[in-house]
Amino acid sequence: MMKTWISLPLIFLLIFLPFFLSQYWLHVMIISLFYVMMASSWNLIAGYTGQISFAHAAFAGVGAYVSGMLAVNIGIPPWLGIFVGTFVASLLGVGLGYLCIRMGGIYLSLTTLGFSEILRIIITNEDRWTRGTMGLQIPGFFTEYSKMSYYFLFLIVSAVFLFILYRLIHSEMGLSFRAVLNDELAAASSGIDTIRVRILAFTISSAMAGMAGGLYGHYLMLITPDIPSLGQMFLVLAMAVIGGMGSFIGPILGAFVLEVLSEYIRIYGEYHVLLFGLVALGVARFAPEGMVGVIKKRWKVKESP
Amino acid sequence: MAEFLMYFTNGLVIGVINAISAIGVSLIVGIMRVINFAHGELYIFAGYFSYHLSLTFGLSPILAMPLSVFFIFLIGILMERLLIRPTYGDEMYSLIITFVLSIVLQNSALLIFGPYPNKPPALISGSTQIFGLFHYGNQRLLSFGISIGILLFVFYLIKKTWFGKSVRAISQDREMASLMGIDHWRINMISFGLGAALAGSAGVIIAPIFPVTPTGSSAISLTAFVVVVLGGMGSLKGCVVGGLILGILENLGAAYVSTMYRHIFAFIILILVLVFRPWGLFGQKT
Amino acid sequence: MSRRILEGKGVAKSFGGLMALRQIDFVLEEGEIVGLIGPNGAGKTTLFNVVSGVYPPDRGELFFDGRLISSLKPYQICRLGIGRTFQIVRPFLKMTCLENILISLIGRGERGKTLEEKKKEAREFLEFVGLRNRENSLAKDLTLIEKKRLEVARALATKPKLLLLDEVLAGLNPSEILQALELIHVIRTQMKITIFWIEHVMGAIMKASDRIIVLDQGEKIKEGKPEEIVSDPRVIEAYLGESNA
Repeated sequence: MMKTWISLPLIFLLIFLPFFLSQYWLHVMIISLFYVMMASSWNLIAGYTGQISFAHAAFAGVGAYVSGMLAVNIGIPPWLGIFVGTFVASLLGVGLGYLCIRMGGIYLSLTTLGFSEILRIIITNEDRWTRGTMGLQIPGFFTEYSKMSYYFLFLIVSAVFLFILYRLIHSEMGLSFRAVLNDELAAASSGIDTIRVRILAFTISSAMAGMAGGLYGHYLMLITPDIPSLGQMFLVLAMAVIGGMGSFIGPILGAFVLEVLSEYIRIYGEYHVLLFGLVALGVARFAPEGMVGVIKKRWKVKESP
Repeated sequence: MAEFLMYFTNGLVIGVINAISAIGVSLIVGIMRVINFAHGELYIFAGYFSYHLSLTFGLSPILAMPLSVFFIFLIGILMERLLIRPTYGDEMYSLIITFVLSIVLQNSALLIFGPYPNKPPALISGSTQIFGLFHYGNQRLLSFGISIGILLFVFYLIKKTWFGKSVRAISQDREMASLMGIDHWRINMISFGLGAALAGSAGVIIAPIFPVTPTGSSAISLTAFVVVVLGGMGSLKGCVVGGLILGILENLGAAYVSTMYRHIFAFIILILVLVFRPWGLFGQKT
Repeated sequence: MSRRILEGKGVAKSFGGLMALRQIDFVLEEGEIVGLIGPNGAGKTTLFNVVSGVYPPDRGELFFDGRLISSLKPYQICRLGIGRTFQIVRPFLKMTCLENILISLIGRGERGKTLEEKKKEAREFLEFVGLRNRENSLAKDLTLIEKKRLEVARALATKPKLLLLDEVLAGLNPSEILQALELIHVIRTQMKITIFWIEHVMGAIMKASDRIIVLDQGEKIKEGKPEEIVSDPRVIEAYLGESNA
């Protein structure tokens, strides 16, 4: 009941808000929705199965570049291209997952970090195909450019993502994810194929990053190696950590708050990364459940004096 | 032939520096099951420290180098005490924290030192003829010598001293070690400091040869990680052999295939190891 | 007719230089309750870990229900029908009691049951161990004895034919031990589950077991009926040796 009372007005707000926003803030909202998709899908592996992938931004890059290059070189429409990009990202996810996850979480983190770096180097150096750091110009989704259309496209896809994630987390598979996170050995001794569960979570999450990246690329219409960079990866991670890992709302909250804040901080220069880094360190150290955890605690204290 | 030998020698020199850097990572993984993603940043910071200590503060490079390493050792100790220790046993948070720290340090380096490459003064100039085949820079030869010295020192520390015995006991069986009365908190802190100091040593040794930049740090971390996986997690011998293999392959590859793809060789090796021998050359299966 | 449900042939396992198990042979008949005792470090938990697939044996073979299981993974062994508890209880701390049991039901890998049906079944297991009223409590908020009960319920919910119990009585007071023994009796007689258990509470394990296997320093030094064990000089020596050390 409580949930419907909160979410109904929120949905109305999200639908009618854009009509009152300037083009600039509409852009900020679209970018925030991109980060909602990224942070929420990263939270599926990190927050729900306890594996840290540093390739989430890289998979977004894969989605953006695959779809973008298909459109530029052989004229495949973006609507189709983003699905190809998503597919490629999920294939890479299965491959990396299969190689690393049986060896343990540390290996996944190391290898995904390496993958990110390598992808960035390849994109930067293969400029015949990717135009390197100059950026590749790719077509958008709509023949007539309108931020409003993009806003609703991003809103709908985000909603679909969140719906899938919500159902997944509350399904049997979601329970298995959490069991693996809580105690891998105990989960295995209860009959859970922990490796399969982890690879599955990693693949779903990577595919979502691929899709989000494809959308993002066709919105920006200029894709650069910044999309698959570790800096981008850091922002996604910081949003999930500061918002609250392992909670459904946390990364959504984190994405909006950090994206909007970074717009304000940017007025004074590029300090937002450093600032978010320091905040994320503090949160990981002192409030590992993030903003959501802090809010919940306050709530409880007030309820039972 | 002479050209090949020169690239090979370059590989050897880089290889031993790789080994020092990788041992820094391996030591911490072996004892604490923590990967220090800020490894490359510590390496870079050491390079900048030695640059500024000798050029801005006018210290002799002979003093500036060890002093820089000492500063990095202190930073390592602080990192362990303030950030890593509370996450002990929670692998996920330690990964998150060291990764975030790497981003923070990288951005601080950009703010403090600027984006330009910096090269501290060389200790020695000139070059020596090697076997009458090619001339090789004295600074590189000296770096090679210092690196070998550091490797010998680390091996002595691990194989012969009280500290080394505790380290090995903890790496093999943590519970048993604590039953034997080993104070793992102190060992953790010293090991983390030592791991950082080794990153710093590699940084100050390499900086006069290849200038350091704040954005170069992730590639440095990556090289060290690949060496550790190739050699086998927690194996010192593996770090040395892995470091040399990677150093030689990268240099020959850069010379004969493509310079841009230097780091791609490392990644290909990483994938091959994961496919064919995931526990590494000298690691223990399971 | 009884048949062999678990059989170990020459099972050996070492860690680094330490031999934890040296060439152990043992057999469990279906329906039996067999105690595994021995001083600390004798290799009892190691044997359980090898049987349940936590690590493969270095040498030797293990058969469960006539099937070779020594190279299988823990989840596969669990699905074949070996359930276990851990010496230091390992419930999923940040999950509710009901969710803890659900994991075991999901782990069976059966198809065709909805989550609601599984919840209903999970409640029956909670009822069985007396935790029905705690179904929505997080496992970390339980008392030690409640955690132990949850651990047993979780193992039972995997629908085992053989149950490995690792020191389930440790830390319980005498009346709680009696309750626990009653539970074990029911598991054996009504659920027809074979039990292999490690216990330090000597009175209890001697009273409730059909047979006892004694390990010392990784070797099986004695096997037999409880009354034969208590009077065996080697067993007494092994235990006295421990108290002198």
